[in-house]
Amino acid sequence: MILDKSKEIVISVITETLKEAKLDDEIQVTEDMQLIGGKSLLDSMGLVSVCLALEDLADEHGFEFDWTSEAAMSKSRGMFRSVAALAEEFSNQSEV
Amino acid sequence: MIIVTGANRGLGQAIVERLAESSEEVLGLARNTSGMKIDAIECDVSDYASVKNASREVKRMKKPVKAFINVAGVASMNMAVTTDESTVQKLIQTNLVGTIYCCQLFAPIMLRQKQGSFINFSTIAVALALKGESVYAASKAGVESFSRTFAREMADFNVRVNCIAPGPIRTDLLRGITDKQIDRITSQQVIPKQFQKSDVCDLVELLIDEKAASLSGQVLNVGGV
Repeated sequence: MILDKSKEIVISVITETLKEAKLDDEIQVTEDMQLIGGKSLLDSMGLVSVCLALEDLADEHGFEFDWTSEAAMSKSRGMFRSVAALAEEFSNQSEV
Repeated sequence: MIIVTGANRGLGQAIVERLAESSEEVLGLARNTSGMKIDAIECDVSDYASVKNASREVKRMKKPVKAFINVAGVASMNMAVTTDESTVQKLIQTNLVGTIYCCQLFAPIMLRQKQGSFINFSTIAVALALKGESVYAASKAGVESFSRTFAREMADFNVRVNCIAPGPIRTDLLRGITDKQIDRITSQQVIPKQFQKSDVCDLVELLIDEKAASLSGQVLNVGGV
């Protein structure tokens, strides 16, 4: 999966999650938005929901998105550092 | 489906048999699955990759997981000063780290369902600070601490986490322990008698049941402390 498509998917999932959590209807999800830490708009429940939604979408696209893998966990700060980083990981896993 | 680790012997086997009697679909995880009469996956809980593979297999089954019961464990009844390094490592790796691996890698299945129950196994030796069980008790104290906090992390997803802490139940883990030693332990319980595997199975059934929907982050000490 090309990175642009991956970014589109990840941004869409995060936007939906924020809407469902009624955290913010107005917010524009950007590539540099943090997913963990004090500046994140997602709480831990929201982040898990995003990961589960990405699992489903990966399934639809014929690959397994493994957000609990040792490799993913060991660089989890990187993966959840920003929307772009998560999209990159999602894209990378689609190529495996 | 209910998943039980350490399902091929001792307490794990007793729990599997009890759940099967109740017409529950049970999947066993064990290092050696030969001869097991239920569906089973070979899994060494102390090995991250092995647990990961098992969780992948279960995920691919696409069946709801009602409960995950972490029974697999090892014991060593020795004073800390007479416990060798490899035994210390084995106790911590299997009892504590193995429980953590299973919880973290199987949790996503329950998070998705927004329901489920983890039952982890501790020991009454934690609450009673039993002499001669310091390393074993430390590994299980870690399980209790992990479970209490993990319960809070899972609560938003309607997943419950509890511990059962048996006293001296007659299993392989107790081989070499004399009746006198067992009496010395059970005499410190609120109910000073030796309980059986069936008593522990009763608690497992209770914790799985929706009637226990209000219980999470709890440690049930068998016999009381």
